[in-house]
Amino acid sequence: MTDQSTSAPQVGASRSGSPKELGTVEQAALIEQLTALADDELLLGHRNAEWTGHAPILEEDIALANLAQDEIGHAIAWYGLRSALDGSDPDRLVYFRDAPQFLNSWLAELPRGDWAFTMRRQCLFATYDAELLSRPALSSYLPLAHAAVKIGREELFHLRHSSMWLERLAHGTAESRRRLALALASAWPLLPQLLAPMPGTLDLHAAGIWPQPDELREAVVARARAALSQVGLGAGPLLPTAGLTSHRGTHPAHLDELLERLQSVARADPEATHW
Amino acid sequence: MPDDETVKSHEFEARIARGEKIEPGDWMPDAYRAQLIRMIGQHAHSEVVGMLPEGAWLDMAPSLRRKQILIAKVQDEAGHGQYLYHAAETLGASRDEMTAALLAGKAKYSSVFNYPTLTWADVGMIGWLVDGAAIRNQLMLAQCSYGPYSRAMVRICSEETFHHKQGREMIIIYASGTPSQRHMAQDALDRWWWPALMMLGPHDADSPNTPQLVAWGIKTKTNDQVRQEFINEHVPELRAAGLRIPDPDMYQDANGDWRHGAIDWDEFWAVVRGNGQCNVERLAARQKAHDDGLWVREALDAFAAKQAAGEASL
Amino acid sequence: MSRWEVFKQDAAGKPHQAVGSVHAADPQHALVTAAHVFARRPAAHSLWVTRAAAIYSRTAEELAAESQAAGAPTEGQAPVSFEVFCKSTHRRSMTFVEHVATIEAATPAAALALAGAATSDDSRALAWWVVPTAAITASAPTDAASWFDPAKDKTYKQQALYGAAPSRAAKRGAG
Repeated sequence: MTDQSTSAPQVGASRSGSPKELGTVEQAALIEQLTALADDELLLGHRNAEWTGHAPILEEDIALANLAQDEIGHAIAWYGLRSALDGSDPDRLVYFRDAPQFLNSWLAELPRGDWAFTMRRQCLFATYDAELLSRPALSSYLPLAHAAVKIGREELFHLRHSSMWLERLAHGTAESRRRLALALASAWPLLPQLLAPMPGTLDLHAAGIWPQPDELREAVVARARAALSQVGLGAGPLLPTAGLTSHRGTHPAHLDELLERLQSVARADPEATHW
Repeated sequence: MPDDETVKSHEFEARIARGEKIEPGDWMPDAYRAQLIRMIGQHAHSEVVGMLPEGAWLDMAPSLRRKQILIAKVQDEAGHGQYLYHAAETLGASRDEMTAALLAGKAKYSSVFNYPTLTWADVGMIGWLVDGAAIRNQLMLAQCSYGPYSRAMVRICSEETFHHKQGREMIIIYASGTPSQRHMAQDALDRWWWPALMMLGPHDADSPNTPQLVAWGIKTKTNDQVRQEFINEHVPELRAAGLRIPDPDMYQDANGDWRHGAIDWDEFWAVVRGNGQCNVERLAARQKAHDDGLWVREALDAFAAKQAAGEASL
Repeated sequence: MSRWEVFKQDAAGKPHQAVGSVHAADPQHALVTAAHVFARRPAAHSLWVTRAAAIYSRTAEELAAESQAAGAPTEGQAPVSFEVFCKSTHRRSMTFVEHVATIEAATPAAALALAGAATSDDSRALAWWVVPTAAITASAPTDAASWFDPAKDKTYKQQALYGAAPSRAAKRGAG
């Protein structure tokens, strides 16, 4: 079926079709990058799934569950790409790594908060994915290209859903506007850490399979600011990220608590390989 | 009863006997409407409350695939509640009123959801047994005479089979897995077997509603008939998986039917009346979701009002 | 918030069918919500939503009762476009009425009368819905790729992809 949407990512001509064509430095960098993407999707999906049974409207129990399933699916895809490079087992990565080995962003591990925070966080991640996954660089390494297309089109629907909500909360009541402002105040300062390059990002860019991180960051921030001003909100300046490393691998307090629950059943029976 | 009502009632029952569907706008006896609102409402509430026992295990799902599957399953419970509230609304009920009745403890829901889910294997056992029992009821209700309820049930049936199969898949794996998994599977069966049997309703002798529901095309089989079919389907599969049915009095009769031991109905009625372990917790969770969500619903209404008045800059 | 009826078109060329309703506050919210509720499994190509209150609804029984009463003719009203939906079978289904015609008429009743006259077998028409075209909010054709197509790949929740109960021996072999 032809993709009629002009904004969905296209699969471009591939230069690198197999993992063997990447050098060891690039491979190591890509493994880290994929893990970071996967860990973010895992935690986002985990947090969104917490709403099931507790959402403000029955229809939103259904909606958030769609987002969560998509995100776990994205995590499976990114871990799967890592597995093709180093033979790792995605379930083993998820259930038997400790917190310092997780490469998620701080924004992803925060608790779900209220509806305003959940929608705000969703919108920021969907904006990031919409920009990242439509970059031509991703399409030059075939496995990344396929994942980018599939994940990208789902992220477009996530962006639509969360943008629609932000508009309604911004223009709803004084209370919804107040909560949205608080959500922004919590989430916005964490955007630089989400967008900061990892140690190997420039190597991936040099190999032609990852966008230039500063350009990507500026595009994401510009798009997020534009969306805010459309609903009459503004956000303060962001910490400059030139030279800032992502500090992925360090975590505020939340990941330990999250992992304790997430990993509890699997870790209680480490011999079990089939669930 | 005025002659007109009697004639209309006979015509109504004749329509049903001809296999016609009653649609919103058609004449129906007040008692038919009231009975359906009560039944459909209870069914909808059961689905919505039913999100909670398994929803509690979403955080701890022990593999990525199981997590994805469980999110989809619990999502379906919400969806089924949604289809059923719609059916009740076509009869003149309102979702707000039905929700208020549930939260006030005035509306019933299936007592099976007032049992706690103590281990991960409970998720599988609920899918295998509870959804297995639900499917039998739902297949029957899909034939019912009221169009919107029948359609909701057909849609639900198309989704419920996945619930049943994924639960069975899980338990079969655990029943031949590690010692810990095998123990967990048997323990889950020990705790969920009898609640699943009781879910199919009181014995026929204690179900006064049934003849009227049969005349109205709402029920086509009795509780005991459905229960026997359920047992005959599940006992061989559970035994083949290496599990032991927690009924020392169970035996297979000359017809091949698996006859069950006596059901402890005292426990059933205690749970129905609200003395089950989780009644309070389940309703409190739904009340909290409702209360916490008020500002969100108000924001939606305020936005819509502004949009309609042309005020919001969009 | 109010109820919005949802119509889903499974594939290009097939009629939009009434699949249920959603609670929502405004048209865009209703449309996105309808996608979440009714397109989470395949197949969907297009969605329409309309406020339940905008629907003119008649069953065959209601029409028969009305035709015995005198009907006031409508005069001088400019014709408006209506979408007409019809149910024509008692067969068990998960959908209710389906789209049969777009009709210009002065009132919904007039549109229904025209539609009824146009169908060759209108004695089988069991229920009708008539909706002003302007009251329908539709998904865009370009939405399908991101809104509806991804559902096809979600095989983990499609029952056909789960096998029959496997034997214990087969499971051990799969180990």
